[in-house]
Amino acid sequence: MLTEVHVPEDVPAAVGLIAAGATILGGGTSLMPRLNDYGSPPTELVSLRRTGLAGIHADGSAVTIGATTTLAQLEHDARIKFLNPVVRSIASVPVRNLATVAGNLFVPQPYGDLAVALVALDARATVAAQPSGGSQPSGGGQPGPSRQVSVELLAGTAALVTAVTFELPRPGAFKYLKAARRRFNSASLVTVAATITEEGGVVSAARVALGGVSDRIVRATAVEAALLGRPLTTETVEDAARAGLEQIEPRDDAYGSAWYRRRVFPVHLRRALLGR
Amino acid sequence: MKIVNLKVNGVGKAFISKPETTLLLALREQLGLMGAKRGCAQGACGSCTVLLDGQPVVSCLVPAVTVDGADVATVEGLAHGEELSPVQQAFLDGFATQCGFCTPGMIMSAEALLDRNPHPTRDEVAEAISGNVCRCTGYEPIISAILDAAERRSL
Repeated sequence: MLTEVHVPEDVPAAVGLIAAGATILGGGTSLMPRLNDYGSPPTELVSLRRTGLAGIHADGSAVTIGATTTLAQLEHDARIKFLNPVVRSIASVPVRNLATVAGNLFVPQPYGDLAVALVALDARATVAAQPSGGSQPSGGGQPGPSRQVSVELLAGTAALVTAVTFELPRPGAFKYLKAARRRFNSASLVTVAATITEEGGVVSAARVALGGVSDRIVRATAVEAALLGRPLTTETVEDAARAGLEQIEPRDDAYGSAWYRRRVFPVHLRRALLGR
Repeated sequence: MKIVNLKVNGVGKAFISKPETTLLLALREQLGLMGAKRGCAQGACGSCTVLLDGQPVVSCLVPAVTVDGADVATVEGLAHGEELSPVQQAFLDGFATQCGFCTPGMIMSAEALLDRNPHPTRDEVAEAISGNVCRCTGYEPIISAILDAAERRSL
């Protein structure tokens, strides 16, 4: 049950409450379903809704998205149009109007498709520092400077993310495909997100992230290694998929079996990277 | 316990909220607006959909104290006296409602879609109601009714 819901007006106040033991509430789309069962232990929440962390800033090629920016706000922003298919592959409209960008970094697989895309974009999260005294009640400790962390390293932490930053990919470099049971509003069977750079007819840089195929987002380094230095052809991608199969550990869930996910991963890697 | 102020269907309301009071529970149990339904309480069925500051949200996932001062629109606020909104009338005329449990959420999702996009395609309608589960009508009459409502609104 909920014992208190704090609604602080700024980040330092939120940081203090988190340090004192409150759980972070972003959009609530992942946390509130668990609390609505009335069977949860006493829980104190700190809502980030009024902390002023929403907003999208594009400065040249650098994009910074505030933590509490909703997925719906991303969906409708023309400056980051390349993320529109990513956002529209996630949940439904009434959920996207609540769900936040930072919240997506912490949801368990097979959800968190935006986080998969952000890993492929090599995004960095700005994390607010804890007050002195660490996880103990703060006793008035002052927050230190914030720090930047790769979004890959956030899973399982209780960090207060204030923003996410990444460089706009070159036109056509970002690839994304999500296989799901239904066209709209379904969790991932296999999600592929990648940024691929080609120079001189071969892949010169590759960053590939996978969702739905493990209990965490997979940075598919084996796939990347198999792509580098080779032309982006069917044969290359099939070799990369074989390498990727060694790295994924899919699980059975209500959406699909581990067997099925392994079967369709090579198909969807090919479709994501080659468009066919 | 905190006092929460909302503008609900254009009228200022105030109520005392416990920490676990969701926007849905506040609407139903404290403000007597029974249109939005408690279905799954997981944000998955959409039967609790209302407009929060103009945007459709699953109100079962929103602690009421976090939206103090917000504008909320529910299905009860759509009709003008005996005159239904075009979406409501299209649902009625097109037999797009059967047991009626999903209907208020469906209609609020449709209203939000048509506010944002007055001439949606069939596919855009399907996406807009993808978070609203109906176990009776099979969706086709609902999609047709929303497309019909789009035409009625443009007349």
